[in-house]
Amino acid sequence: MTALAAEARIAWAIARKDAVSELRGRSAASMTLFFAALVLLLFGFALGPDTRKLAEAAPGLLWLAIVFAGLLAVGRLHLLETDDGALEQLALYPIDRRAIYVGKALAGFVTMLVLGAVMLPVVGIMYGVELARAWPALSVTVVLGALGFSAVGTFYAGLTVRVRAREVMLPLLLLPVTAPLLLAAVKASAAALSGDPFGELGSWLQLLAGFDLVMLLVAGASYGFLLEE
Amino acid sequence: MPLTIYVSPRAAGAVEPQTPAVATVELARLFGRSAALAGVSLRVQAGRTVALLGANGAGKTTLLRILATAIRPSFGTARVDGIDVAERPDQVRGRVAYLSHATGLYDDLTGAENLRFAATLLAVPAPEREERIAETLATIGLTGMAAERVRNFSAGMRKRLALGRVLLASPTLVLLDEPHAALDEAGMQLVDALLAAWREAGITTLVASHALDRLQPFIDGSVRLESGVVAEIAGSGVEPNPEPRGAIGLPVGTGASV
Repeated sequence: MTALAAEARIAWAIARKDAVSELRGRSAASMTLFFAALVLLLFGFALGPDTRKLAEAAPGLLWLAIVFAGLLAVGRLHLLETDDGALEQLALYPIDRRAIYVGKALAGFVTMLVLGAVMLPVVGIMYGVELARAWPALSVTVVLGALGFSAVGTFYAGLTVRVRAREVMLPLLLLPVTAPLLLAAVKASAAALSGDPFGELGSWLQLLAGFDLVMLLVAGASYGFLLEE
Repeated sequence: MPLTIYVSPRAAGAVEPQTPAVATVELARLFGRSAALAGVSLRVQAGRTVALLGANGAGKTTLLRILATAIRPSFGTARVDGIDVAERPDQVRGRVAYLSHATGLYDDLTGAENLRFAATLLAVPAPEREERIAETLATIGLTGMAAERVRNFSAGMRKRLALGRVLLASPTLVLLDEPHAALDEAGMQLVDALLAAWREAGITTLVASHALDRLQPFIDGSVRLESGVVAEIAGSGVEPNPEPRGAIGLPVGTGASV
């Protein structure tokens, strides 16, 4: 078996383990979805009943809800490792630490995809946005946005998991770094929903893909150091 | 009770026989301004079982954690089978199995799933994985709990499952931190049987414990630590390491604070 295949096998085992734990702790998973929906509802209240204003704000509010709920999700995937010394044990296996990062990021990516898949129709219904024509471009945006957020979120969740004030530190560190991702995802979603009249969708998607690639490479190369004590 | 110990690469001849299984030179570890280890120089011969004795805070756990690559030494060196734990931790991890105070188990996975996850990460070949897991569960007496989530396990059952994870590895060096703790008499007998089996298989074992009487039949020698330094070495298989200290040393011998 090649080294790459061995890493992939280990990453898959870690992602699968995280997914099983997350699904069995159903209350936490459903609470995250509920939280995201609540964010959308509260923003709706704040903006008032003007349907045109709500539709205009929909792309931004969608991504804010995904990012806020994603913060909880990526943080929790690392909290699973704090039970009874699991993180230290994970670091002691004779495996490449990039595989740990990839496994964690993969679990985060799938969680973010589920969040995006649930939140898109919720936004459509709540803010009266027509999604039918835009769904292929929106799907690509959600996939790229979820990948980027998971890539960088996994790194910062690993950085803060041993910190006492991790619930505060994670958003403080992570949110500024995700600003380019948030901007590109909002602009791409807005372009997709409006039929891309200025032909800017491709550029924003390219920016998202570039962000994803850079973050995956940098975070993947650095993550192993976070496991050192 | 079925008990199979999987032979390590070292036992198969991958390391020169005269290379000590463990060698430390002026090994020290600071936590803040406090020295948990303050200059330990030891050599443990391969295939021997050695007890690490000492009061709470003497440095036993810190020594084991450095050898397991869980933490890095502040000063000095530690080698496992001739490999420096700080320079090549990735190579050392493939040789060491470590049972710590914390079990490192996942509460929402079942007993079998925890072992399956460990077996995958320990590169137990897929065709024999399920057989090894079943065999391990039988050895640790948890076959009936295989499908139960670990969240519902008692402290003793968690300890047994953590021991099962150690059994899935094929180490040259087994590090056990108070393995009898939290176990009932049957569990303690299981640990005794494993200590005997590892010794029989020629696998080096370091056991930190307060229960010397219990360990006595299974050990070749012992090291007593006091305030992070070696206070006494007894028996065979372990000796002071005469290698010269490095350029950086710590004041040795008086207390845990520097």
